[in-house]
Amino acid sequence: MLWYKAWLETRSRFLTSLATLTIFCAVFVHHAQGLLRPEWTTDFNRLLFVTQQFVVIMWILAVVLLGMGGIVREKALGTSSLTLSLPVSRAHLLGIRIGMGVLETITLGVVPWATIFLVSSLGRMPILITQVEFYVLLLVGGGSVYFAMSILVSSLVEGEYTAPAVAFGLALLAAMLFDAWLRPYNVWRLVTGDYYVDRKTHLLSGHFPWFGTLAFMCAAGLMFLVSIKVIQRREF
Amino acid sequence: MTYMPVIQTRDLTKSYGCVAAVRALNLSVGPNRITAFLGQNGAGKSTTIKMLLGMIRPSCGEGTVLGKLITNAKENREMRRTVAYVAENKPLYGYMTVEQTIRFASSFYSDWRTDVARRLLNEYKLPPQRKVASLSKGMRTKLALLLAFARRPELLILDEPSEGLDPVGIEHLLQTLVAESAEGVAIFFSSHQIAEVERVADHVCILDKGCLMVDASLDQLRQCYRRIDLVFPFPPDEREFRITGVERVRTKGHQMSVFASGNAEAVVERARDLDAISVEVAPVGLRDIFLETVKEN
Repeated sequence: MLWYKAWLETRSRFLTSLATLTIFCAVFVHHAQGLLRPEWTTDFNRLLFVTQQFVVIMWILAVVLLGMGGIVREKALGTSSLTLSLPVSRAHLLGIRIGMGVLETITLGVVPWATIFLVSSLGRMPILITQVEFYVLLLVGGGSVYFAMSILVSSLVEGEYTAPAVAFGLALLAAMLFDAWLRPYNVWRLVTGDYYVDRKTHLLSGHFPWFGTLAFMCAAGLMFLVSIKVIQRREF
Repeated sequence: MTYMPVIQTRDLTKSYGCVAAVRALNLSVGPNRITAFLGQNGAGKSTTIKMLLGMIRPSCGEGTVLGKLITNAKENREMRRTVAYVAENKPLYGYMTVEQTIRFASSFYSDWRTDVARRLLNEYKLPPQRKVASLSKGMRTKLALLLAFARRPELLILDEPSEGLDPVGIEHLLQTLVAESAEGVAIFFSSHQIAEVERVADHVCILDKGCLMVDASLDQLRQCYRRIDLVFPFPPDEREFRITGVERVRTKGHQMSVFASGNAEAVVERARDLDAISVEVAPVGLRDIFLETVKEN
């Protein structure tokens, strides 16, 4: 039933984000197809690359919002004493919240790109399934660090508006700082596909960056662990 | 048979910076009885309850609930399986319906009694499909109580359980508490409603500024506490009445009022030795005991 609770808590944010992302992708790609000739494949590939930039922005906004809430927010609302009186460990409570969030973030990555694939196919400008997989894996794998950061922030900051403001601020700050000094490690450039796009064909090329993606997933895992430790030590 | 307290604390203390919310609390709550936990706002009642349930860590001291250490997360979690708790503001998830809330709570406890939950749902006239957020305060209190009473816990901890209830609801609550206690459930509840406490409690603990001031059975309190009103032919000297058991002495002209937690006979004897014109000894209710205790402190 804790899964059910996690679902009830996040479903409106999740469904709104899913609908927004999916509709945006469908309309954007369909509209662009109307402006392109079927033989202009490079332009269409470029369009897909641009679409990924917008998807990443919206996806990060969505996953940061999905990471908000939890037991610290419940403390502010007064419901934490009900949750904490259940015979369940705090690690378990947060673990389920993370689990539900991860499932939702994956869905938010897969469904919009599946929509793009369908709309492209119906518009007679089919795209390679490998390109879709590449974009989705970059988004969900590398982007997991954004969700983990929002979970960590929500474990530290109580305010309804303060927590998302801090999370968005950190995401922006990290993007700027890494771009300035540690560009090869910038997660933003990884998830948008910027490192892997062929500037001539505008297709994602080369091997999938498993190492980089796994590194960011490990960073996400570390942030989840820190969040659990914070929640275990916190007083309610 | 050995006496095994359901709640026991030893020097339990909670400080926030230099402010002590609970100071060296030594509490022992016995099984099969209703123990009332009284105190003014901010006396440390809710902090104590939260420490017992592992929501906050004690600054020092130790405690057990049903023999399980409150500071050990694993033991505390095990303990919560057999303890039902109704928190102060009756927190419930506003996004769930009444029915969803009941289903949610029932999934965590093996001692859940579906028939009792159904009966209470009807008795409390709770609309199953209504969102908790749209319930009145009284309805929310009833739902929170339902979640506790539908179980068969070993210990019921209630923080201000009658808050928001109408007189009918309060009457029902008190009867339920007595019935639960008769079935062997230990009840530990905090309240500001002294009349309610006097009706159902077997044992009373009074907390003031984090210190345990009174820890006795209600019968003992009724038996020991006395107010002695005295009239003297001359203005009396309060120092004459500083004897064991005297909690407070008030003098107004030739009149004196002595509040004693015991030893009333000695006070009467002293008054007679001092040629008191009038000596009246009256038993005192819990309300007076409470007020005198917290005033005294």
